[in-house]
Amino acid sequence: MDFQVIYDRIRSIKAPGVIGCDEPREPNPEDKKDKGRFGDSFVLVEPERLPEFLECVRDDALLKFELMADLSATDPSKDDENLWINVQLLSLTHKHRLAVKCFLPKANPVMPTSAPVHRGAQWAERECGEMYGITFEGHPDPRNILLPEDWIGAPMRKDYEYPEEYHGISCK
Amino acid sequence: MSTTDTYEPSIAQSKGELLDSGEREYMLDVRTQDMEVNMGPQHPATHGVMRVLIRCDGELVTGAQPHLGYLHRCAEKIGENVEWLQYLPYTDRYDYLAAMNNNLGYSMAVEALMGIEIPRRAMMLRTICAELNRIGSHLIAIGTYGLDIGAITPFLYMFREREWMMALFEKICGARLTYSYIRIGGVFNDAPPGWLSEVEAFCDTFEVKWKEYYDLLMQNHIFVQRTANIGVISREMALDFGLTGPMLRGSNIDWDLRRDTPYELYDEIWKDKAFEIPLASGEKGTLGDTWDRAWVRVMEMMESIKIVRWCLDKVEPGPIIAEIPKTLRIPPGEAYVGIENPRGELGHYVVSDGGKIAVRCRVRGPSFANLAVLEELMPGTLLADAIAIIGSTDIVVGETDR
Repeated sequence: MDFQVIYDRIRSIKAPGVIGCDEPREPNPEDKKDKGRFGDSFVLVEPERLPEFLECVRDDALLKFELMADLSATDPSKDDENLWINVQLLSLTHKHRLAVKCFLPKANPVMPTSAPVHRGAQWAERECGEMYGITFEGHPDPRNILLPEDWIGAPMRKDYEYPEEYHGISCK
Repeated sequence: MSTTDTYEPSIAQSKGELLDSGEREYMLDVRTQDMEVNMGPQHPATHGVMRVLIRCDGELVTGAQPHLGYLHRCAEKIGENVEWLQYLPYTDRYDYLAAMNNNLGYSMAVEALMGIEIPRRAMMLRTICAELNRIGSHLIAIGTYGLDIGAITPFLYMFREREWMMALFEKICGARLTYSYIRIGGVFNDAPPGWLSEVEAFCDTFEVKWKEYYDLLMQNHIFVQRTANIGVISREMALDFGLTGPMLRGSNIDWDLRRDTPYELYDEIWKDKAFEIPLASGEKGTLGDTWDRAWVRVMEMMESIKIVRWCLDKVEPGPIIAEIPKTLRIPPGEAYVGIENPRGELGHYVVSDGGKIAVRCRVRGPSFANLAVLEELMPGTLLADAIAIIGSTDIVVGETDR
């Protein structure tokens, strides 16, 4: 199924938390500043209801997104108020993909965990949490995974300040 | 090493899956202390620097906790600080056994944003190199897997063939391990004269040698005894953990990105019926056990040879790289491209704001997702089988940690 059909189906089954969708578009020739947007289409979902959404599209017979390929975050820029949560879903039954995006405010980066829906999300959320300083509520094992337990700050944030030393080792 | 006085036979009973022959029943009657053993960070079977904290009740594993991060080199952060073309050599370094496939994944993700057309000869060379690299990667996977559980000879045989493969890559791009050969827009160097016929000679020899591996290792009685019925991954579990690649096909899930979401020339190759997707059937034991996963890898090497032969048959002279400027400015947008790496789905998620540097360069490494299954697989097995299970996941620590 192509994106439009998938999105219509998501609309018609009233999947929880859907805000809208975004599709690539050509640049507007009259406005020189508008460069358009390329790449993938994605569905916008409220972060608070992401687990419900994932469960809904996993169990729907026509969508069947049974495999979560990836869960990660993006910090679009220093000035942006939101982080993005990017989820890549894959349906083995129907051979289609879906990109899901949530806007999570940097002021309060807390959202529920998706681990009960996709067990694979557990490690992905651990990585995402430590790198962007996001708290996943209800996560069964919220320790750091790649960074040391005592690492300060969220290194993948655009406003991250590099440490000067770590346990007496100079980082300059 | 630390010990605790608590004894919970219920853990062993609930988690341990006994065989019909009742081989492990005696373990439950033995009263022992729980013990925590560190496997790693330097352990020959972890193939890199990884630590698995194993909780044992005698010989029985009751819990396993992988600790990663020893090889974390901030690949994603570097991706946000260097130019698009400059990032390519870093992709070699996460899954260093399949660097060609990493180059391909990253290039395809950037090309998806640029919307450029790749010359046909470049795609042919890309496919040949990616498949040869898949063979090399699986040779290591199978060879070291045998080595981990005691079969030293096949390992030496497999390195012999891998050496030839690396010599082929050396001739085409000058490097033996970190190639950076597949570039954004095509490949960086045309095949030198006589290279394609050398690849054909490699294919001819490999087909003969492959039979040796199959007989010497896969059908070896000791190997089968060590690997069958161990570390069984069910269909549901594989999907729940987001496993991909041979781990998925080892549980008889018919899924291969080369066929199901075709990219490059794979659509054409599949329509020509040039290759098949090997699916495990539980031949030597339970479906989804470690032997099945090793079997899938061994069979896939032959399929890669078929794909290489198809390309050698069809390859024609022509340009090898599309016209791209020296300083790339990628149009704004975001794209996720997943390709079939030897270990599973290698995804690159790139975000551009129209500038010279990526806003985000996310790498979805298959080893990372595949390793998570250890926590679930290990409890209930014997300590000696833990090695067989870790080996069957075929992780590259450079990729789990990135």
